[in-house]
Amino acid sequence: MPLEIKNVSRLFEGSKKETLKNISFTVNDGEFICIAGPSGCGKSTLLNIIAGLDRPTGGKLCLNGTEITGPGADRVVMFQEHALYPWLNVIENVKFGMKLAGLSKNEQEARAERYLKMVRLWDFRNYRIHEISGGMRQRTALARSLCLDSPLLLMDEPFSALDKQTINKLRSDLECIWEETGKTVLFVTHSVEEAVFLADRIVVLSDHPGCVKEIFSVDLPRPRVIDSAEFLAIRHKILSCVEREVEKVAEKEYDYR
Amino acid sequence: MITAKIQGLLFLLFLILLWQVLYILGTGVFKWWKPYALPSPRGVLLSLQKLIQNGTLIHATTCSIRRALSGFFLALLIGSVFGLIISASSFFKRNLKPLFTGIQSLPSICWVPFAILWFGLGEASILFVIVIGSVFSVSLAIENAIQTIPPIYLKAARTMGASRIQLYTSVIIPAALPGFLAGLKQSWSFSWRALMSGEVISAYVGLGYTLMAGRDMADINQVTAVMLVIIAVGMIVDKLVFSNLERHVLKKRGLA
Ligand SMILES: Nc1ncnc2c1ncn2[C@@H]1O[C@H](COP(=O)(O)OP(=O)(O)OP(=O)(O)O)[C@@H](O)[C@H]1O
Ligand SMILES: [Mg+2]
Repeated sequence: MPLEIKNVSRLFEGSKKETLKNISFTVNDGEFICIAGPSGCGKSTLLNIIAGLDRPTGGKLCLNGTEITGPGADRVVMFQEHALYPWLNVIENVKFGMKLAGLSKNEQEARAERYLKMVRLWDFRNYRIHEISGGMRQRTALARSLCLDSPLLLMDEPFSALDKQTINKLRSDLECIWEETGKTVLFVTHSVEEAVFLADRIVVLSDHPGCVKEIFSVDLPRPRVIDSAEFLAIRHKILSCVEREVEKVAEKEYDYR
Repeated sequence: MITAKIQGLLFLLFLILLWQVLYILGTGVFKWWKPYALPSPRGVLLSLQKLIQNGTLIHATTCSIRRALSGFFLALLIGSVFGLIISASSFFKRNLKPLFTGIQSLPSICWVPFAILWFGLGEASILFVIVIGSVFSVSLAIENAIQTIPPIYLKAARTMGASRIQLYTSVIIPAALPGFLAGLKQSWSFSWRALMSGEVISAYVGLGYTLMAGRDMADINQVTAVMLVIIAVGMIVDKLVFSNLERHVLKKRGLA
């Protein structure tokens, strides 16, 4: 299921400059793509557009040859904010999407158990959302989006509120699930290390307007070793590309003062 | 908690004392008012005692509460439908919502002539006044509760493939519940007020009627006694039903 993004632009009402401008790239079937770039460059905006929650003001997107006009269960999103429902407990939240899809009770139970155990929240399945920590909420949201087994998974900084050990474990888990299911993943992240660890290709966005600055291929064999020389080399290359962008943003903000 | 209750009680006692002093000063010392034009705590108490002893008060109160509740539930039913329609369509939101807000500000006594013309003197016309007095408030409460749902709840459900109906049953209704309950408190007070307008005109039993009977006998103490009962019942229902319900829902979601 290739995802084609063709010349996509997004101009928000009231702002002079486009947030996204002429974004073009193609995501191949089963690919793991990471999107990196400075804060505020439009990563979430792009993900929202791919999800069908927002419409581009220019260009178009095609999934499997058909244009994306609205959201659908074939493109589940894990949002930057957790978006869990406070009137449901942890396991009910995880089952939410499966219930909508009309899966059998047994199937719901089995998948919820599998993914809740993966994110180590099985013991907390009956807790309410306000009774668990921020990182646990993120993990619940991760379990919820994985349960639905959608062919394209859109993830917006899913591991940003977690500790190093949990991140490491969930990264490998995600990689396993991805390899096992062959689904396509679009993964927004701040961490270049994370991008190099996970991605087949890394799309670096520039800021103001958000354009594709460069696309890097990561050809290292999996599972990748974070402190190997090749890993560090490619990480360094991408980091300097991203950092140049971040510096540009900082300079611009400095000019305003 | 206990000291807060004692404080409240003492304050109430102080108000009654102030009232008694004003009564003595106003009618006795300065002679600003004729004694029959100003209620006194003692007179009101005696009046209450009389009304309780001859059974009028209990009968009137149960009758009024029954009417108010049936009117309120009818308004809840009709108002919910309108509220959902308004929030589902931008056309109605633009055109019907301001109209409802306007009509809501109309005192319910204005509807009494229509009520009598259409339904005659009796239960049906009182019910009509209650329903029309609170139905707009219910609609607006629903609309407002839906309006203030965090958009991310809906976005998440839509990306998980929710249909329009599923969006309502699985997200909009449960998410709007706390806001709706808060709005309902106001609708209840509208119902209760509208009931009094209805009863004053066209009832033969009920708190509103007892109040008017007091007026007809020029018994200012009875009028005041009934007024106090009306206030008390309104407050008790608010506390017992709505505040408890609201607290329960908020607590379950970690909002209180
Ligand atoms: N609804 C909106 N209306 C107007 N401007 C918006 C809207 N949503 C986002 N923007 C603007 O678009 C830009 C990009 O926002 P976006 O959330 O996509 O950034 P991001 O790359 O995800 O940042 P971060 O890494 O901090 O999450 C920001 O400058 C933001 O102010
Ligand atoms: Mg973002």
